[in-house]
Amino acid sequence: MKDFQNINPPRLAVWILRKLLRNDLLEEVEGDLEEKFFSVLSKSNKRKAKLNYWKQVLLYMRPFAIKKTKSNYSKYSIMFIYTIKLAFRNFLKHKSSFLINLGGLSTGLACVIMIYLWVNDELQMDKFHKLDKQLHQVLLNHEESGKLNTQPSTQGILADALESEVPEVLMAVEDTDPTWFGDNFSLENDKKNIKAIGKFSGDQYFEMFSFELLHGDASIVLDDKKSVVISESLARKFYQNPEYAIGETLTWNLLQFNDKVKVTGVFKDLPNNSSESFDFIIPFQNFKDLVGDGMNWGNYNAMTYATLREGTDLASLNERLGPFVKKKAEGSNVNVFMRPYSDQHLYNKYENGKLVGGRIFYVRLFSLIALFILGIACINFMNLSTAKASRRLKEVGVKKAIGADRKLLIFQYLGESIMLSLIALVVALLIVILLLPQFNVITGKYLTLSFDPIALLIMFGITLITGLLSGSYPALYLSSFQPTEILRGKLQSKFGELWIRRGLVVFQFSLSVILIVSVLVVHRQIEFAQTTPLGYERDNVILFPKEGKANDNLDLMLSELRNIPGVAYASASNHKVVQKSGFTTGVEWEGKNPEVETRFENVASYYDFIEAMGFEIVNGRSFSREFNNEGNSVLFNETAIAEMGFTNENAVGRTIKVWGNDVTIIGVVKDFQMQSVHDKVSPVLFRFDPTFLPNMVVKMQEGQEKETLARLNKFYEDFNPGYAFQFEFMDVEYQSLYQAEEKVAYLSKYFAILAILISCLGLFGLTSFTAERRSKEIGIRKILGSGNWRILVLLSTDFTKMVVSAIVIGLPISYFLVRQWLDEFALRIELQFWFFAVAGIAALAIAWLTVGIQTVKVSKINPVDQLRNE
Amino acid sequence: MGKYHLGEFEEIVLLTVAILQEDAYGIAIIDEIEKRLKRKVSIGSLQTVLRRLEGKDMLSSQLGEATKVRGGKRKRFFKLTSTGKKVLEDTKEQRLGLWDAIPSFVINDP
Repeated sequence: MKDFQNINPPRLAVWILRKLLRNDLLEEVEGDLEEKFFSVLSKSNKRKAKLNYWKQVLLYMRPFAIKKTKSNYSKYSIMFIYTIKLAFRNFLKHKSSFLINLGGLSTGLACVIMIYLWVNDELQMDKFHKLDKQLHQVLLNHEESGKLNTQPSTQGILADALESEVPEVLMAVEDTDPTWFGDNFSLENDKKNIKAIGKFSGDQYFEMFSFELLHGDASIVLDDKKSVVISESLARKFYQNPEYAIGETLTWNLLQFNDKVKVTGVFKDLPNNSSESFDFIIPFQNFKDLVGDGMNWGNYNAMTYATLREGTDLASLNERLGPFVKKKAEGSNVNVFMRPYSDQHLYNKYENGKLVGGRIFYVRLFSLIALFILGIACINFMNLSTAKASRRLKEVGVKKAIGADRKLLIFQYLGESIMLSLIALVVALLIVILLLPQFNVITGKYLTLSFDPIALLIMFGITLITGLLSGSYPALYLSSFQPTEILRGKLQSKFGELWIRRGLVVFQFSLSVILIVSVLVVHRQIEFAQTTPLGYERDNVILFPKEGKANDNLDLMLSELRNIPGVAYASASNHKVVQKSGFTTGVEWEGKNPEVETRFENVASYYDFIEAMGFEIVNGRSFSREFNNEGNSVLFNETAIAEMGFTNENAVGRTIKVWGNDVTIIGVVKDFQMQSVHDKVSPVLFRFDPTFLPNMVVKMQEGQEKETLARLNKFYEDFNPGYAFQFEFMDVEYQSLYQAEEKVAYLSKYFAILAILISCLGLFGLTSFTAERRSKEIGIRKILGSGNWRILVLLSTDFTKMVVSAIVIGLPISYFLVRQWLDEFALRIELQFWFFAVAGIAALAIAWLTVGIQTVKVSKINPVDQLRNE
Repeated sequence: MGKYHLGEFEEIVLLTVAILQEDAYGIAIIDEIEKRLKRKVSIGSLQTVLRRLEGKDMLSSQLGEATKVRGGKRKRFFKLTSTGKKVLEDTKEQRLGLWDAIPSFVINDP
């Protein structure tokens, strides 16, 4: 025999043989085949031998030789096939309950998936920066009146000091908040002047934050003071193609300031998951020049961000950082601390220096709602399956009698529910795909349904849990019966079964009641917030930036504006009133406690501002042209007067100090609500200060706003050529303060409707089942003379009892919950009895309606039909 | 008369096993059949028959020693049982009886 050591039978064929051949035959046959193979090989060639081997293997595939697949697998695999078969038969047989279950579960799942997408997006906010783990924001705790007030604005000189003096700080960057400059920032070249959101940032900005640069080198783009980095879309507006932008010269305008800068970089438009939003960045050095002397330890005119050395213990660092500023500046009242940068989106509410939450509240709230809705859908499933149990009791009995053990039955029912939830998942995904665009409009997000492994895992996880959860009770319950008892016809209804079914319905409707009350209260509160008198008139007031010629000659601008028909008042201010913008602690008065710092909202204004806003003067007068030198006159609101220990009557005429200068109180303004109704009224100082008034305010006469606006537009074009008249209505601005709440209200309304709908589906299924099961009883009752009405009452009493107990449970809980929510607001509606009454009655009405449709149908049936098929 | 009627191929296999005596395993049987009858037999079809005959208690089998040939896989040796012998003899007698019953001129006639 030749040496054939290197030649072996074809491996695939051997593998097939091994897979398929009976174990007791394998050794012998494999040996035979191998021997044959080598004998062929020695007589002819390798190819023939292999071919022959294949032929032999294939010819071997005879019934007697092949593994008995079924006998070698566990009984579970057979069960599995039967489970699928039986489940489908069951679905087909009980179409209505199948559809009810499918409808409920798939809406539930769709809700959960959408909320998951939203929550996931919220959690991912700002997390995309490469240095995310090291990236921190510096915050200051101000000690005021014995309390801590946490603010993000820091001293402009803090960043440099931190970077050079704190070893853990690798990089520290100063930055300005784009909202400080409002619409007053613009860029222009010889062809165009474009308003854009701009800010001043330290030169390492692009090294710290991973905003992608299309052109330019992150480490040097902001190094030169006369440079600017612009966004891709801004570059397109100026130059069509971003590539042409580099090296071009632009002029930035901010109020009366301007300078020429060179474009050194273009960044890709900011991603949706960034809470920062800006169109261009100018080196911070320019801002330092603007502020001049203001760059000191007493002025808070920058945001500060820092990257920390890896592995830095934040808690111990914060302990050491605390007195950082106090060591530098005698008498400072601020404590320094850092928090992870990406926490700013979700955890941004501080009370007395302690983190108390923020947006994370809504993330948790919606996660909870998602769980509730899914829970309600699961309950439906459980309810219907246990209710149907009697229909399937015989099946269980027979199966048990011929040897199925409990495990197999549990497996079967769980398999059935998991299968149902998988079908529901498919439907839910379709629903999500359909509704996602609408959902994005409401939430203002750009969510997409992605099928990356994690998302898939979570979706299937949720589905599996849903299936297990909704199938668990029926599975355990149905499988627990004794076969003999079932087959002998006992066990028609058990106390426990009824009790648990009732409990589930009560739970569902309690949730529905809670949701109805919440939706009502949230809705009313937001309506209230948007319409309540705030102490000033925000209707027909427009705001626009002071720019162009208005910067050169404010008086001319104002008198021209006043001459336009339909304009009631025109003025200018540093303040938009609907939002807080800046405060000062530099007010001193006789008898002031030097230990306590009091914060006054700092409103710099011009003549007619108080009148234009419709502030009411309680005592004294407002700024007037009749007096030549108003620079030393101030007004306060009532809260400020009270804070200083004066009364409205005795305050006017007093002399106090603002920033060391003597000023006279000339009037007291009635308290008004600045910002949203979340906040309490705070002390307000009105100063007369023509130097920094970035906002123009015009109050129009009522009734001819359209014409007036047209005239204003015309005037603006003539007066300020090259500038577009871009204004905003104050009432619209005010309403936008409630965007977050409005979204919540909107979404919670839909989710509540969904929850109630799913609950009703469940109740509907349950009623139809009961009606069916009691059909003989109803038939007999009717024959014995019972009227339709009696039957109706008979069938609905049970459900009414459940819903009433749900209301009794749900109302106190909902009272407690909305009470807590309302506590967030300084101005809030009173909780009225009718909110709860409406919710209760609504729940009851919905339940009756659901039950009614079914019972009316049953009660009208001819009893003969019901009794005949025996 | 035996209860069982041997098929043609079954008979050949039984006879070959008898010929090979102590050395009757898969490939040897096939080789023997091929040599004597010039007939191709696949291992699969042979095994089918061997199993069937073993099931009818006409053959018995046992595994031999492992050898280096065949990659260390053991051979299964088959042996005629007494039933097998009896069936073979019965078959032979039936055939012979049939042969005897044929009038001589039928076959001898050219």
